[in-house]
Amino acid sequence: MKIFDCVVIGGGVVGAAIFNKIVRLGKSCVLLDKASDVATGASKANSGIVHAGYDPKPGTLKAKLNVRGAKLFPQICKRLGVKLNCCGALVVGDDKEKILELYNRGLQNKVKVEIWDKKKLHEKVPKLNANLNVALWAEDSKTVSPYLFTIGLVEEGMINGGKVLLEADISAISKDGDVFKIETQRGMIYSKSVVNSAGAGYNQIARLLGSETKKIQLRRGEYFVFDKNTLDVPCTIFPLPTDLGKGVLLTPTVDGNFLVGPTSAPSDDVTAVTKTGLDEIRQKAHLLMPDIDFRNTIRQFSGIRTICGDDFVIEKSRKVPGVVNLAGICSPGLSSAPAIAEMVINLLGYSTKEKDNLKKIQPYVMFKNMSKRQQKEILKTDPSFGQIVCKCEKITKGDILAVLKRPLKIKSVDAIKRRTNAGMGRCQGGFCFTKVVKAIAQERKIEYKNVLKENRGSFVAVGDIREEE
Amino acid sequence: MKTQVVVIGGGPAGMCAALSASKTGAKVVLVERDEVLGGILNQCIHNGFGLHYFHEELTGPEFAHRFRIMVEADKNIKVLTNTLVTKIEDKKVQIMGKNGFEEIEAQAVVLAMGCRERTAGNISLCGTRPMGIVTAGVAQKMVNIDGKMIGKDIVILGSGDIGLIMARRLTLEGAKVHAVFEINSTSSGLRRNIMQCLEDFDIPLFFNTTIFEVVGKDRVEGVYYGQVDKNFQPIESTRKFLKCDTVVLSVGLIPEMYIAPDTITCKTTGGAIVNEFYQTDKPWLFCCGNILHVHDLVDNVALEAEQAGKFASLYALGKLPTQSKSLPVVAGEGVSYVLPYSVFEGQGKVEFKLRLKTKVVRKNLVAKCGANILGKKFVLAGVPGEMLKFEIEKNGASDKIVVEIE
Repeated sequence: MKIFDCVVIGGGVVGAAIFNKIVRLGKSCVLLDKASDVATGASKANSGIVHAGYDPKPGTLKAKLNVRGAKLFPQICKRLGVKLNCCGALVVGDDKEKILELYNRGLQNKVKVEIWDKKKLHEKVPKLNANLNVALWAEDSKTVSPYLFTIGLVEEGMINGGKVLLEADISAISKDGDVFKIETQRGMIYSKSVVNSAGAGYNQIARLLGSETKKIQLRRGEYFVFDKNTLDVPCTIFPLPTDLGKGVLLTPTVDGNFLVGPTSAPSDDVTAVTKTGLDEIRQKAHLLMPDIDFRNTIRQFSGIRTICGDDFVIEKSRKVPGVVNLAGICSPGLSSAPAIAEMVINLLGYSTKEKDNLKKIQPYVMFKNMSKRQQKEILKTDPSFGQIVCKCEKITKGDILAVLKRPLKIKSVDAIKRRTNAGMGRCQGGFCFTKVVKAIAQERKIEYKNVLKENRGSFVAVGDIREEE
Repeated sequence: MKTQVVVIGGGPAGMCAALSASKTGAKVVLVERDEVLGGILNQCIHNGFGLHYFHEELTGPEFAHRFRIMVEADKNIKVLTNTLVTKIEDKKVQIMGKNGFEEIEAQAVVLAMGCRERTAGNISLCGTRPMGIVTAGVAQKMVNIDGKMIGKDIVILGSGDIGLIMARRLTLEGAKVHAVFEINSTSSGLRRNIMQCLEDFDIPLFFNTTIFEVVGKDRVEGVYYGQVDKNFQPIESTRKFLKCDTVVLSVGLIPEMYIAPDTITCKTTGGAIVNEFYQTDKPWLFCCGNILHVHDLVDNVALEAEQAGKFASLYALGKLPTQSKSLPVVAGEGVSYVLPYSVFEGQGKVEFKLRLKTKVVRKNLVAKCGANILGKKFVLAGVPGEMLKFEIEKNGASDKIVVEIE
C-alpha cells in the first residue's frame, strides 16, 4: 500500500500549481479531478489575465499573492514553454480621483503604474471612446492561456513523478491515524495530507473530509470571443473597477483573438450564456469602444467564479489536521496561483528546497510554429504532419496525434482544442470536428461514437446508422 | 513552383474554373484542402443536382465525379489535395501540405473556396455548450460520410437548404425531427425542399420563432424556444420547452474570404466585388462560386466558374482585352444584390445574377441606365431564397445601371 505525501483535489490552475510545486520538492503527490481533463472549471473560462497587482486592497492575501504570483509567472511560463502576451493593461475612465486611488494602491502593492493623460491614452488606443480622458497604465499586466498554463504545470509534475487521476470522483474520505483513505472511482488513494482546491466543489469535498465548510457564493462571468484582427485592442482595457469586480474588459489573447466580458451575476453551477448577460456586455463594451462590431464574435462562453468573503481563504484546517483549505479563489486567482502554491507548501510544513535533476517538459509546438528545418525533419519520419486537420488554425493531424501521446491521457475533442486550438477558429470546428474525432478514436483505439466532446456522457454520436443486424 | 493559374478550392467551382482555364490555354494548379476533390458535394448524397447543367438528375457525389474525372484526365491541371492555402500575396500563393510550407507563383489566382456555415457563436446562441449543437453541414458529414447518428430527437434552427435536407435525412434514418424554427417570416430555403423535406414528412416549420436557450450539461437535453418580435427580440410570454438531444443549425452561409488578400467586399453577399470578368479590385485575382455569393443551385456555380476560369486564363496569358469605361451596377428597389458589380461600356449581352429582398408576385424586373430601359423580365413568383438570372443588352448604357423591381 503506497502512502502518498499529499493528495491535491481539483485540477484547476491552483490545484495544478500546488501539485507541481509539491512534486518539485521531491514529495509524492496525486492530483485528482472528476473531469476528463484538467482546467475544465473556472480555469478554462476566465479572462486569462496575469494581473500586475494594483487592484487588490493592500495587505490582503489577494494583494500579496497576486504581486508575488505575477513575478513568478514569466519564469514558470518560460520553463513550461507557455506563451505570455506582455501587452500591459490600462484602466480607463473619466474620473481622475478614482484613477489616482488605484495608482496609490498600485504604489502600496509595489506595482509599476503610471497615470496617462488623454493624449497618450488615445494614441495607444485610437478607437477608445472619446470621453475617456484618463488612465492607469500597468505595463506588467500580461495575458496567458489559462488552460495551457494549467496543463503545463500538471504535465511537468507528471514527468517528475507526480500522479494524476482524471474522472476520479471521490465517494468517501476517512482517516486512519494520520493516513487519509480516499475512495475514488479510479481506486483507493492513501495519503498523509490533503489539499482541497476543488473550486466550486469546495464544500462537497469539505463535507467528505469533515473539515470546515464555507459560505461560498457562485458568480457567473460571460464573455464574447472575437475573431482575429477584428478589434483594435493592443492591451487589456479595463473600466474603473466596482464592488462587483473589474468590470467588462477588452483583452487580446495570446493567440490573437480578443475577449470581451465578463459579466458578474449570481448563479448556480451552470455555465450557461444568457441573453441578459450578452446584452449587458454589448452595452458596457460600447462605453469603452463605441465601434465594436459584435458580428465578428465567433463564440460566447461563461465561467463560474467562487467567492468566499472579500479575500482568498487559504488555511490549515483546524478541524482535520493534515488538510489545507482553499476557498474563494476568484480573481486574481490565476495570477496568484504560483504564489498560492508556495504558501500551501509552507502550510503543509514542507521545506522549500526543490529536488535535483528535475526533468524539463517538452513544450507544445505545433507544426506551423516549428522552424523550416524541424518541419522538413519531422515530415521525413511522420507524414501525418503534412495532413491538414484544422484549416482556421492550421493544425495538422501530426499535431493532434502528438498531443494524444503526451503524459496526460486526454480523450476529448475539447481537450484537443485547448492544447492545439483546432476548432477554435472562425468555423468553430465545421471543417475539423470529425477529423479530430477520428484521430482520437484511432490513437485511443476506441469507437468513433464513444469519443467525448468534454466529459463523460458527452459522446459525439448516439450510434451507427443502419446498424448491422 | 510556378504556374499560370492557381485555382483555390476543389469543389464544383474550383474544378469548373480549372477545367475552363486549362481549355482556354493556361497551365493550372488546383489546390484542395481535403483528401479528395468534390468539396461539400461529396456529402450531399441526395439528388436534385445537374438538372440545368447535365439535364439529368444526379446526386452530389455523381455531379462532382463527372468533373473530377475530367480534371484528372486533364494534363494541364496539376491537382494538390490535402493542401491548405495559408497566404496569398501578390500572385504568390503559400501552401501547406505534404511537403510543409511551399509557394506557388502564378499569373492569376481564382478563389473558389466556397463558404462556411454560420455557427452557434455567430448567432450568439444562448444556454450551455453541450455536445449535440451541430451545424447542418457537420451533421451531414457525420451521417453521410462517417455513418454516425448524431441524435434521436432533433430540433433544427433555421430553414436553410442543408437544414431542410438534413431534416429529411435524419427522419429517414429513424430520428424524430420535432420542429424547424425560422426566425424570419419566410424561409431562405428552396420551395421544393420545404415541400419534399418537411411537408412530405409532417415536420412542422415555425416562422418568427427561435431558440431562446439550449439546456444540457454533457449532451443537449432540450431547448427553450418561442416567438420573436419584429426586431427579432424574444417574446418571453411565448417561451416553451422542447425535449431533444440535438440542435442542428442551418442559419446561413458566409463566403470563405478570410484567406483572400485585402479585397473590397460587398456588405450584402460578404463576397468580393467583381466586374464582368469576375475580376476583383486586384486584376490578377478572380472569384467564383459560393465565395462570391451563396448559390442555391450547383449548376449555376459550374456555369459561373467556367466564366471566371476562362477570364483568369486569358489574363494569365496576357490575352484579356483591355476594356473601355466601367459602369457600376447597383441593386435598386426590391433587390438585395446584383452581380457583377460593374460592366464594361460597349456592345453585347450581359447576364445579371440577383436576389430579391422580399417575395414578389407578377412584377417586372428592369435594368435602367438613367431613363433608358436596357432590359425587362417578368417575374411570376420570386422569393429571396432563389437566385434570379436576368440577361440584358448593354448597348446604350453609358453610366450607372440600376436593377430593380418595377
